[in-house]
Amino acid sequence: MKFGKRLKQQMDQSLGEWRDKFLSYKELKKMVNLISSKGALEYDAQFMNLLDHEIDKFNAFFIEQEEDFIIRHKELQERISQVIHKWGPQPSHMEYKEEMTNIRKQIVNFHGEMVLLINYSNINYTGLGKILKKYEKRTGGVLRVHFIERVWEQPFFTTDLISKLVKDCETTIEMLPPSTATGIFHEEEAPKAIFRNSVAALLSMQEMRRGSSTYSQFSLPPLNLPDFELIQSLQLISPIQIHHV
Amino acid sequence: MAPALFKKKRSNEVEASGALSRSLHVLPALSEEKYPKLPDSPQVTLAHELTTDLLTSDTRTAGHSFSSASVSLSHSSSFSPDSSRLRVPPFISEALNDRGSFHSSQSSPTVARDGQPESNDVSWTMDTSDAPPPHRDVVPSDDSARKTDWREWADQLVTPDDTLDLNLSDLLVDVNVPDLDAKLLELPPNFATYQPQIQERHLLTVSTAQTLPAVASPCPSPATKARMRWTPELHEVFSEAVTKLGGGERATPKGVLKLMNVEGLTIYHVKSHLQKYRTARHKPESSEGTPEKKTRNLAETAPLDLKTAMEITEALRLQMEVQKQLHDQLEIQRNLQLRIEEQGKHLELMFEQQRKMEEDKQNASSSNRGDNSPSPTAETQPCVGKTDAESSAKVASPLEHSEKESSEDHEANAGGESSPPTKRAKTEETEDSPKKSIDVTI
Repeated sequence: MKFGKRLKQQMDQSLGEWRDKFLSYKELKKMVNLISSKGALEYDAQFMNLLDHEIDKFNAFFIEQEEDFIIRHKELQERISQVIHKWGPQPSHMEYKEEMTNIRKQIVNFHGEMVLLINYSNINYTGLGKILKKYEKRTGGVLRVHFIERVWEQPFFTTDLISKLVKDCETTIEMLPPSTATGIFHEEEAPKAIFRNSVAALLSMQEMRRGSSTYSQFSLPPLNLPDFELIQSLQLISPIQIHHV
Repeated sequence: MAPALFKKKRSNEVEASGALSRSLHVLPALSEEKYPKLPDSPQVTLAHELTTDLLTSDTRTAGHSFSSASVSLSHSSSFSPDSSRLRVPPFISEALNDRGSFHSSQSSPTVARDGQPESNDVSWTMDTSDAPPPHRDVVPSDDSARKTDWREWADQLVTPDDTLDLNLSDLLVDVNVPDLDAKLLELPPNFATYQPQIQERHLLTVSTAQTLPAVASPCPSPATKARMRWTPELHEVFSEAVTKLGGGERATPKGVLKLMNVEGLTIYHVKSHLQKYRTARHKPESSEGTPEKKTRNLAETAPLDLKTAMEITEALRLQMEVQKQLHDQLEIQRNLQLRIEEQGKHLELMFEQQRKMEEDKQNASSSNRGDNSPSPTAETQPCVGKTDAESSAKVASPLEHSEKESSEDHEANAGGESSPPTKRAKTEETEDSPKKSIDVTI
């Protein structure tokens, strides 16, 4: 049930509209348990249907988000070049600094959301793998490998583009003129949520790989986060307080 | 069964091919990285080869885009495996097969069926299928007519479109689409489950209406959805078109669609994308406040002191760090997961080969000596097993079918009980150069 709990945690921490887009792990598990190991097909169809439905759900959500990210990415680039052209000649102008700070903030949050989408993809994939493993255990069927290979082809699993955009953000922010942060820093819900979610995701990943009771050749090795203590402390303390006047 | 709306026309096919080559000029060739593909670790690449071998010999397996190491991530229309592999009564699977080919073929235009090599890189979309699996040729001509019917119908919906404003109620027009979808196809809701994988997901039909958030599809839609997937390149084309037409507010979906001139793109795609585009443009302005408001704030409030400024920077930096780590870990995890699967397959193959080898030995010895001593699943050394496997593979090859599921069967029966001789894992690759079999088995 470890995965189930972790999944739920992730979902709870998620940005609002994401919450019901995750894998229906519990439901699938229940269905697998209903499936008879003797060959009766009674619940198989239901199970397959649900799997199909889940995949569609992931794909639809993922593609929507991806589309949004593509648009936002371009807008961000444009905005950056606008700001630079407008105030580049006098980089010490107040408004310029403020804009830059805002842009930085936007990039970081954008980056965060995309990474969370990749996390979304991964968590669902992991969950599917587990469900299929259970199914296989119960029925000895040939479904698992075949299915997993199908998953590899699905849009929601093919996160390369998002990864590329993520890396792009990292490069962009490094290329920005050095930060002298000024300006009004509006405390918004979204960035805090993103941050919280990322921290939760990281820790969650580590937990899940800590050591499974069903450790097999298919299990991932334990995850050793370099800044584990730091990250853990981030989760405990309240979000970083930014003073704004 | 086709409603009166439909006219059978072949001309669309020709148009399609023509437009495709035009659209290929419009868009820069997509480099590989736009294509979702599996990471290129040596093991994974190896796995590609391995699976290619497995898959190419399995003519009944359709739609494994894994078969081409380069591209393709075909988006499977149905998620479930071949009906043959399920415990499904044969008569059902047969009936479903017929529908299956129709159903999935209707989701793509004839473009892909021209078998153009560019179909791999194609277009602007995304989920393009890879090298056409053999079955494609089998698609009955019936389907192509029906396929073009879809496009025809979509076009017809588009043409009276001149005066449509971009607003939600227009999007709701699409609600009718899935209706027609389901009616025409007359499929039971869970039909899709047993569909064989047939993949031509080039272009989208009206079923892409599903992707519009505003649409609530009242009827059970088939699980196969050919989805439109935007890419930065395509968005670039879109963006340019919008700019030419006077910007986000002034451009109309129809105008943009025409200007973009991209094969397979429908007005629905453009509409929804335009809407997102407009939202994205307005939002940043509002969240930062209007310029006047900003300057007023600045004037009213003292500038942040250095400490606070540093805190902000630090907070952002920290957040970025965490996110970067998460990203890296996700990448690593994903690679590991893929590799684990590949290893699993290799292991199975090894087991299978050894099992077969034992069986052959047993057969050989029993024919020699007439006794039937059951051979244990020996833990023979891989090196020995290999060479023997090669020779035994040669001996046994007439009996071999390369069916992927046999290796999976044995995944469950790892003990290696004797199974019908027809179910053998593919070991043909062991007949190849020893080097290759080494790669495969270890």
